[in-house]
Amino acid sequence: MQVFQIRYRNTQGTLMRILNAVSRRALDMPSVHADAVEHDHEVTLVLAVNQKQIGQLYREWYSIADVTHVRSGAAQTAEWTTPRPPAGLSMGRAEARA
Amino acid sequence: MLRGADITLQCLRAEGVELMFGYPGGAIMPLYDALDGSGIRHVLTRHEQGAVFAAEGYARVTGNVGVAIATSGPGATNLVTGIADAKMDSVPLVCITGQVRSALIGTDAFQETDVFGVTLSLTKWSRLVRTIDEIPEVIAEGFHWARSGRPGPVIIDIPTDMLKAKKEFSGPVKFVPHARPAEAKADGGFTDTIVALLKQASKPVALVGAGAKLSGAIPDLRRLLDHLNIPTFATVHGLGAVPPQSPYYLGMVGMHGTRAANTALHETDLLLVFGARLDDRVTGDPSRFAPHAKIVHFEIDPSQLDRVRPCEMPVIGDLAETIPAFHAELRRHSLPDFAEWRSVASGPERAELDPRGLAQPTIRFLDEMFSRLPENSVVLADVGQHQMWAAQRYRSSSPRGFITSGGLGAMGFALPAAVGVQLAKPDACVLCVSGDGGFQMNIQELATVHRLALPVKMVIVDNKYLGMVRQWQQLFYERNYAETDLSDNPDFVEIAKAYKIPARRLNEEAMREFPVSAYTGDLIDGFLRSQGPELLVFDCAPEANVFPMVPAGAALSEMLLEEE
Repeated sequence: MQVFQIRYRNTQGTLMRILNAVSRRALDMPSVHADAVEHDHEVTLVLAVNQKQIGQLYREWYSIADVTHVRSGAAQTAEWTTPRPPAGLSMGRAEARA
Repeated sequence: MLRGADITLQCLRAEGVELMFGYPGGAIMPLYDALDGSGIRHVLTRHEQGAVFAAEGYARVTGNVGVAIATSGPGATNLVTGIADAKMDSVPLVCITGQVRSALIGTDAFQETDVFGVTLSLTKWSRLVRTIDEIPEVIAEGFHWARSGRPGPVIIDIPTDMLKAKKEFSGPVKFVPHARPAEAKADGGFTDTIVALLKQASKPVALVGAGAKLSGAIPDLRRLLDHLNIPTFATVHGLGAVPPQSPYYLGMVGMHGTRAANTALHETDLLLVFGARLDDRVTGDPSRFAPHAKIVHFEIDPSQLDRVRPCEMPVIGDLAETIPAFHAELRRHSLPDFAEWRSVASGPERAELDPRGLAQPTIRFLDEMFSRLPENSVVLADVGQHQMWAAQRYRSSSPRGFITSGGLGAMGFALPAAVGVQLAKPDACVLCVSGDGGFQMNIQELATVHRLALPVKMVIVDNKYLGMVRQWQQLFYERNYAETDLSDNPDFVEIAKAYKIPARRLNEEAMREFPVSAYTGDLIDGFLRSQGPELLVFDCAPEANVFPMVPAGAALSEMLLEEE
């Protein structure tokens, strides 16, 4: 697993463009976290990718108008053992009827 | 106080827009209401796809930003194919769409479509305008992104209430791009490395793509290629960048490229790429593409590198800067003499099997047509067999003289694009070559041609099939011609006449004489030199095929030269 941190100006659609670069390759996104950081925003993605895809994603993200910085590293297993976000609670049949 | 619509048009004028293409509808009506007196000419097409392809044609032939306008909902979604086409082929394009009024956005209102969302992965940049105050900045920024770096499509979606609202307007603004700290760019050191690679190489080649034209680097590129004097070929979008009479030029490369070009590309040990994406139609099987070569890739857009095949030496930057820098360094060195390699690469055993196309009447027909074109001509090809035949036979050295939908391969492109080209170049001879399938995809634009009395010369290569699909069915699906038979085509001559456009028919038998008869020659000359629009339907054999052909997934060296 590889962790990517993409810094971007939080303009219309920029986060979606970043995620599109992932989804168009049919890559699963087990974890996505976006937040304000300093004057910009940053999204952290955990992806199972090969070396070729890492290069392609880097370049594609940089071609997005409001992406300012991309960095990545191997995910530390311990940090990602808990499902993120936590699994949702499902409503039981009886509760649903009530 | 000005309406948002007036502000929009003033901002477009400030960006240099004189001509735009569109189709009115509910949400965009305020913009149409403001058109009169805006200083911008609007051309009504008969479908929004016609508008966006016409804007593309205008942009492709001039290098300026093309502008297309449509209303919300279906108007906007009808632009999508053109937007995708502009993305693939790096065409500067700004589409302005009306949107339902702000209060209704998100309610599934009548003719509401999230065109911003629909086009996110197809556009270079886009905005849904939220306030009238944003309009000047959004338009300035949109045009910046459409024309900067690798050009591409932009969409600006404006709710109808923003177009109607009024405000004090102090004039258009200029967009100042934010600093991009990680902007990749080649430094000066790359020249030494390439010179060293050239000195080590024994079979170097050069491949030229659209980027060389888009950057305006053609004069520099031609000087460099003359100096290098190595076998050179072009992608379909690179046609015209290298004068075809250049002794080192081997023609088009790729799926339907020449035998000489594809063979040299397979054998080379050093490939210099100038502004080409190296997509699968050029590489064939990427794992066997240029298997012995180191690749030096001159490219403005880093996202295009390594997509299909990794390159050893990327040179990121505007070719108008990197090519002269490289050439300046190259002049200080002496290069090996590649004469022997040149001679092998262009030798008779690699020549086309049928150089005059005598066995193929459609090729003969295109040769006759192209050889009689006036100097200032632009050829447009739609998508399919006729497109590849036209690309194979095109022999002009005009960098923007051959226009086609290369990356997306959008049938129906050529006729509306020809409208845009002819309006941009009113004195040029604009020859639009289509197949019988593609012509019917935007046949309604005959009305636009007629209304504007555009002297577009339209050719339909009518084989009564979806020819390229049929060819694949013949070669790879055991002749199962599933749903490609168009033998019940309408009478195109009568259709053209219904649009008040003169039309005539030529049978392929006329091309079996060599040279062609005086009658046929006069017919073609008269067609090309007539004052107004004209249609020529060329009836040809239904099962003619385009060769050479590299089957999908095969290596370039495995091209089929004829039916086996």
